[in-house]
Amino acid sequence: MIDEDLVESVLDAAMSQGRPLLAEVRAEATESRNVAVKSGVASSIVSSMDAGMNVRIVLPTGIGFASSNGMSKAVGVELSKRAYMLAKNVRLKHPAEMSQEQPVRTSWEVRQDKALADITIEDQVDFLKGIDATVTKTKVKVEGRYFEIRTSETSGSFANSDGSRISSYLPRVRVDSSLVVTSKGESEQSMREFGGTGGWELVESWNLEKALADEVRMLKTVIDKGKMVKPGKYDLVCGPEVAGIAAHESCGHPMEADRILGREMSQAGKSFVTPEMINFRVGSEYATVVDDPTIPGSYGYYAYDQEGVRARPRYLYKEGLMNEFLTNRETAATLGCQSNASSRSENYLREPIVRMANTHVAPGDFEDDEIFGSVKEGVLMHSFTEWNIDDKRYNQKYVSREAYFIEDGELGGPAKRCALEITTPGFWGAVDAVSKHVKHNAAECGKGDPAQSMAVFTGGPMMRLRGVALK
Amino acid sequence: MSELKEAAQEIVDFARDAGADDAVAEVFDHRTHQIRYSNSRIDASNWWSLKHAHLFVAIGKRTLSTDLLDLASAKASVEALVQGARVTPENSAYTGIASGKFKYRRGKADPKIVAMRSPTKHVHDAISAAVREGATEVGGTLFVRHMRAGIASSGGALAEDESSALELSVRAFSQPEASGHALCCTHKLSGMDARGTGSRAGQMAFLAKDPVQGDVGKMDLILEPMFLGELMHSTSHMMSAFYVEVGMSMFAKRVGKKVASEEVTLVDDPTMPSTSQRAFDHEGVPTKRTVMIDRGVLKTYLHDTSTAKRFKTKTTGNAGPYVPIGFDPPAAPLPIHPVLEPGDLSVEEMIADTKNGLYLNNTWYTRYQSYSRGDFSTIPRDAILKIEDGRIVGAVKSIRVSDNMLTLWKNIDAVSKSTEEVFWWDEVAPPSTLPSVRVKGMNITRSS
Repeated sequence: MIDEDLVESVLDAAMSQGRPLLAEVRAEATESRNVAVKSGVASSIVSSMDAGMNVRIVLPTGIGFASSNGMSKAVGVELSKRAYMLAKNVRLKHPAEMSQEQPVRTSWEVRQDKALADITIEDQVDFLKGIDATVTKTKVKVEGRYFEIRTSETSGSFANSDGSRISSYLPRVRVDSSLVVTSKGESEQSMREFGGTGGWELVESWNLEKALADEVRMLKTVIDKGKMVKPGKYDLVCGPEVAGIAAHESCGHPMEADRILGREMSQAGKSFVTPEMINFRVGSEYATVVDDPTIPGSYGYYAYDQEGVRARPRYLYKEGLMNEFLTNRETAATLGCQSNASSRSENYLREPIVRMANTHVAPGDFEDDEIFGSVKEGVLMHSFTEWNIDDKRYNQKYVSREAYFIEDGELGGPAKRCALEITTPGFWGAVDAVSKHVKHNAAECGKGDPAQSMAVFTGGPMMRLRGVALK
Repeated sequence: MSELKEAAQEIVDFARDAGADDAVAEVFDHRTHQIRYSNSRIDASNWWSLKHAHLFVAIGKRTLSTDLLDLASAKASVEALVQGARVTPENSAYTGIASGKFKYRRGKADPKIVAMRSPTKHVHDAISAAVREGATEVGGTLFVRHMRAGIASSGGALAEDESSALELSVRAFSQPEASGHALCCTHKLSGMDARGTGSRAGQMAFLAKDPVQGDVGKMDLILEPMFLGELMHSTSHMMSAFYVEVGMSMFAKRVGKKVASEEVTLVDDPTMPSTSQRAFDHEGVPTKRTVMIDRGVLKTYLHDTSTAKRFKTKTTGNAGPYVPIGFDPPAAPLPIHPVLEPGDLSVEEMIADTKNGLYLNNTWYTRYQSYSRGDFSTIPRDAILKIEDGRIVGAVKSIRVSDNMLTLWKNIDAVSKSTEEVFWWDEVAPPSTLPSVRVKGMNITRSS
């Protein structure tokens, strides 16, 4: 646990530096473990304890942020002085501003049914070896097999000069798999990620032995029986994984206020969205995308963001209209609104910036089989491997890992490397049906400089797009 | 013995006293100052200080690593780690750490970079220069780094290293869809050319004005060092024996075979003065210049001691960190400073010799459908300039290069004589020294 008196005393030191508009102190302690099994052998085991703190000071002249892996009054005082000097030396022409937010005094935690700390390294290695053995027993030739478990338990304490005092505890677990299947001289790859906040019960619920054995069988089928799509216009049914990556890449990212305002212009880029585009139509009435940090057990879960603002669902696209940007206190002040708690950082060393949490397409009214039942000629793209999008978040590409032809409402044989290359309005404007059943996938989102990896969910229900070009 | 080396040796001694057969400790003391700016003004000034140690221990084939963040109580942490190693499952692929009498060339930081207190002048100079060239909005970062490291191992490694870096990134916009990007990466203050970098970004933004929808089909491409640096990220990682072993490399089973055109000689050179110059790898082996591709022929993968034994060769001094950093896996050999040897043409001559093609400033989001085949696509960003009959005739937008990475390396038919050190964000990494190249007949696609 963090010494909250220490955080309080460092905040006093930060507030004594001139007259800050805002002073914040965040201290974190993280216990983490990383276990890797490569080709059936425990190839790397890492166990670490990390602890440190940061001070952020906002002056009319600018924002200063200083961090260190020390956790003491002396370190805190030094960070306070440095953050003050940094903020002073920025010398902004227009005064820095942060939105006014309600001070909060609370503590929150995510509980574990099966504590991660009770699962030994040996248990974790055995678990991964069990998956490896199951994959190997499928008789599919899997030339590359690599599995990793990453667990972390982070205790945090946050205090700011507005009066907020928040303590937190967040256990998180993730399993990655990397599989390369070969058959008849060809190969296909799969890189999967499973994650959530909670204890080992999450890992057990993922049924990974079955999921990954099914995965290698599917890749072999794609190699052996898959056919390329004849380029042309088809109806496309996106599975939850494809709906989710589109929700993340062409809705979540372009709706980040720091991109819209240009603060990420030289790295992650800007956005095709401009501040005045609230209520602008970007998709059909079936296109609703939500970013919700409060989904219990989700990989991107948090109760309060790292500026102390209470988390809530954000409807980014609502029935095809741009509805709400993702904001932190800095961007909310510029836009003249309140922060919607999108401020996150990878750890205490990095400045918090605007990030997504769990971004998914909202459910509709259809059953899954009704979604493709009315498709005369099309493709069901269950999952993807290659994908990318430009830095305005306007031109995107998804290439299938698992896909099937649809003929007269019936699923046919596998389609191989089916590619969709489309604009953002083209994608969301073509949606004409969405199923009732949302599924999520864990992912690590990269943004910021230095790059900050952030735990998120992507997801959605099955979603039908009419008449899009496939190749 | 100096401070970091001494601290590393002490940690190794603790580990050995506690019962470890093998131990490697690397102590880091990194200080980083970053200025972030956008919309032609500074947004934030950030500073990080991180002093910590990576420790790897082995008892027989039982191995365990940690990141020691509290060096003041290292003894207790090391003893706990060794106790933990006793009960970890065996790593049957572990074949020991490097051992021997090593000789090192210790690096030195530029004292002028270490002493910098307020680097904002360089940012203002870059912004002003870009604006003078016609930019309306300028953004980017300036990093000032001072890095020290000491290493010790039970195999005889004992060394200390120091380096410094200034990394300026300038992205300039002349219109909402017209931008240019330029970098200045230097290990010496005298190498910092903020005005020149800003001017270059501004000039590219000016050339990129009024872009039209790009054409699809096969085209010749001239790639600037920054663009090539982004492709080097995945290309050089696929040189790692780790990625070969897990089936995620297009270079697998191709040692001794042609994997690029004869114009291509690619080396990893951590010994040359650069922002990523290193005296030793993460298991304490002195770094060296390693030729990966010699005139198109694959010569070797990048190795640490364990992968080298499995591949029946010698380590190339590319052991990666024992603790995972960013998106890289732990204990995997990694490239440190890729260098593509220069050719004999000027960039102007390459353009003049191109009938129908594109001149590409930068790219991002390179993703692979198959690492083992090399099928990929990447999205050019910033200036995309159309070349017709040896002249730049305008700018285009909204295109994607969708092709095969082995094909790209094989289709390089011209390499510039000028080279540049490039390192930008998570994309153009690791720091690399690269020329511009021309690639024949690459496939261009776009949204339908």
